[in-house]
Amino acid sequence: MMKDNADERIGVDAMDIKFAAKDVQVYYADNHAIKDVSVDILDKTVTAFIGPSGCGKSTFLRSLNRMNDTIPICRVEGDIRLDGQDINAPEVDPVQLRAKVGMVFQKPNPFPKSIYDNVAYGPRIHGLARGKAELDEIVEKSLRRAAIWDEVKDRLDAAGTGLSGGQQQRLCIARAVATEPEVLLMDEPCSALDPIATAQVEELIDELRQSYSVIIVTHSMQQAARVSQKTAFFHLGNLVEYGDTTDIFTNPRDTRTESYITGRIG
Amino acid sequence: MNDAHIAKAFDRDLEGVQAQVMKMGGLVEEAIRDSAKALKSRDVELAEQVRQGDRRIDELEDLINTQCAQVLALRQPAAGDLRTVLTVMKIAGNLERIGDYAKNLAKRTEVLSHMQPIEGASSAIKRMSKEVEKMLSDALDAYVRRDAALAEDVRHRDLEVDQMYNALFREFLTFMMEDPRNITACMHLHFIAKNIERMGDHVTSVADQVIYLATGQFPDESRPKDNQSIYRVDSVGEAEE
Repeated sequence: MMKDNADERIGVDAMDIKFAAKDVQVYYADNHAIKDVSVDILDKTVTAFIGPSGCGKSTFLRSLNRMNDTIPICRVEGDIRLDGQDINAPEVDPVQLRAKVGMVFQKPNPFPKSIYDNVAYGPRIHGLARGKAELDEIVEKSLRRAAIWDEVKDRLDAAGTGLSGGQQQRLCIARAVATEPEVLLMDEPCSALDPIATAQVEELIDELRQSYSVIIVTHSMQQAARVSQKTAFFHLGNLVEYGDTTDIFTNPRDTRTESYITGRIG
Repeated sequence: MNDAHIAKAFDRDLEGVQAQVMKMGGLVEEAIRDSAKALKSRDVELAEQVRQGDRRIDELEDLINTQCAQVLALRQPAAGDLRTVLTVMKIAGNLERIGDYAKNLAKRTEVLSHMQPIEGASSAIKRMSKEVEKMLSDALDAYVRRDAALAEDVRHRDLEVDQMYNALFREFLTFMMEDPRNITACMHLHFIAKNIERMGDHVTSVADQVIYLATGQFPDESRPKDNQSIYRVDSVGEAEE
């Protein structure tokens, strides 16, 4: 039902492919962590990556904005395209790529700066604002999008690290959306949050979907079911099954998927 | 996929509620059998037992619904587990309705026991109820074995029950026209036949649930039906000749 509403709201654009990955392999030294993964990630859609610990879902997520480049022993092979552009091509600047493909991590990690500067940091280094007034505008807009503006608007100079866990995570989301990314990668964004903060972040994810392609790695099957329209199940480095979330949770095709989502030993 | 859940209590919950449905199915099969037997042998005492026994069936349905609500709330079942809970609830509803029809049959048996028997009617009704009882027994077997092919077979056999009902409908019409003194008994017998035909529809619905449980898809509506012939004007005309 949620899916139907969504399709009405976002129209036919929902079928646009944002990321196209083909035959992707990731190695950590001799360890073959991702095996032959091919998947199309849609624009203006929330895609959930699920699977047991060590299945490769975070590794694959990190290869979408070349975060694996920062790990010396890590090697990525295969073809990953964002809007048709090979992201691993030599002419692609990883910093520019990460401005387009934002990321939110498991543990809220605000900079040890003011709330304002946390959000303003990205737009400043990417030169997105011409002057203070425009920067103020971006900061307010980003904090509003992250549903935290009302809670912090009177103390923008206070330290970001002084906020509660849920607020810190929403601040990190505000920071991620401040550079106007096209894709938002979220690696277990709610695992350090209480149920109320989790619900707020989930509500936020649903709103962000109208503008972005959102990919979320989660250990909570219920969260994947609640927030995503597409679900990908990873197991031992393989993409076992990828499809509509409603199908995955009512009638998965692969027995490994079924064993995992129903809480059996997979 | 036959692996146990990591949480063993989840397995116990699911097995528990399915055991209740099987128990309910057994009681309903017995109610069909006994009510038809009571009608044929004009056994008012047995009919009364069927009427009393329906309370137990209703209680089981309540228990199953409560347990299913608990599993949904506490365990958030997905995929095959979710389909198990959903189908258990629906099947319990179907069984409860079949039980009600058997009870109604027993009630009419008591009324009929004071009347002149209609020749051949109770034997034909017994054959019809026998078929429905067999269909139910197969549908429940199909449930236990998650056997979609057997469930599909049960769905198709409902056609025979429909045809038996249509034949009885014409027969009762003929008896009533032959002798108006037969009208009261034939009206009761007709309702009994109609109720057994409805039992067949509920058994078909149980079979539909088995197919959904086993395959994740509901069957299409292509099974053969015979519910048109008695509505034709010429079928009444034929009986008049």
